[in-house]
Amino acid sequence: MEITQIQLDALREIGNIGSGHAATALSTLLQRRIEMSVPEVWAIPFEQVSSLVGQLDTPQAVIYVKVEGAAPGKAVFFFPVESAEIIVQALFGTNDPMDLYADEMTQSALREIGNILVSSFLIALTQFSGIPLQPSVPALAVDMIGASLDAIFLEEGVLEDTVLFIDTQLSGIPMIEGQFMYLPDDGSLKKLLGAMGV
Amino acid sequence: MSNVISVGMADFKTAKAPDILLTAGLGSCIGICVHDPYLKVGGMAHIMLPTANGSLGGNPAKYADTAIDLLLKEIHAMGANRSRLRAKMAGGAQMFSFPGKPPVLKIGERNAEAVEHQLKKNGIPLLIADVGGSFGRTIHFDVGTGQLHIRTINQGEKVI
Repeated sequence: MEITQIQLDALREIGNIGSGHAATALSTLLQRRIEMSVPEVWAIPFEQVSSLVGQLDTPQAVIYVKVEGAAPGKAVFFFPVESAEIIVQALFGTNDPMDLYADEMTQSALREIGNILVSSFLIALTQFSGIPLQPSVPALAVDMIGASLDAIFLEEGVLEDTVLFIDTQLSGIPMIEGQFMYLPDDGSLKKLLGAMGV
Repeated sequence: MSNVISVGMADFKTAKAPDILLTAGLGSCIGICVHDPYLKVGGMAHIMLPTANGSLGGNPAKYADTAIDLLLKEIHAMGANRSRLRAKMAGGAQMFSFPGKPPVLKIGERNAEAVEHQLKKNGIPLLIADVGGSFGRTIHFDVGTGQLHIRTINQGEKVI
């Protein structure tokens, strides 16, 4: 669907408030300052998404949550492994090295963080649109970022010429970097925008 | 000196020995590698989905069926002989699993089937495949030797 400037602004505002809630939740959880960028709304071919995430085979911890309800979508948080390790260490209050690839406690903590961040985002989105939305159980992959993203974007076996998503960068002190993407499903965009009267 | 030529998502490239073709971060996508061992030329396609389903427009290099046709056409144009062509592939993983919810579509698996089918249709033997699992792959293909090097984050490296 064609997006007007007003609709684009509305989506950016959703991103702003929703990601703001998520950043605050992360900050509270870790007791650290977390900042976020001004969200961008992209409508680009999937092939170009790679330019937003850097090297496609960099290992990152990706937490993927499906959003269910009247306007379904996909929420994805990803952190470079070094940042993910710092986040889990902050959560557990330790400086011990964490095995992101195999340790169940560590992986479970990352999933739980994803769950909290997405839930905070969805509370804002629901307040904004009046459409009730629920997060699925979070899934986790600690692997090449390109591999994780292609699996998420292509899951339904169809790919429109352009994909639309809200993209926000998170950064924390010290040395936490992350990125959040929200992809409304094809029909959901119309519903969300309609509910906001744009 | 050999050059390393990078193949993006939904992209395909051809090369001559001693050049190497590379594609990074394959998840459910598949890297298809075809070469002529006599002429030492070949190509690689990074496909994302099984079939274009007759949909026109968009990028044909996204789909297994249309991408393989494009790739073969370009390899032939370099003088390769169809009867000498050999293929290998890697990718087709299932990166995420949700407890209690089996994946409906298994795109990785379907991509692999579509590639096999399309190669068979063109009479090109698939020598070996490294597909499936739940991990990403970065692959390097030597069009001269036909060696396919596969790197993963946590599942080691191998040459097939």
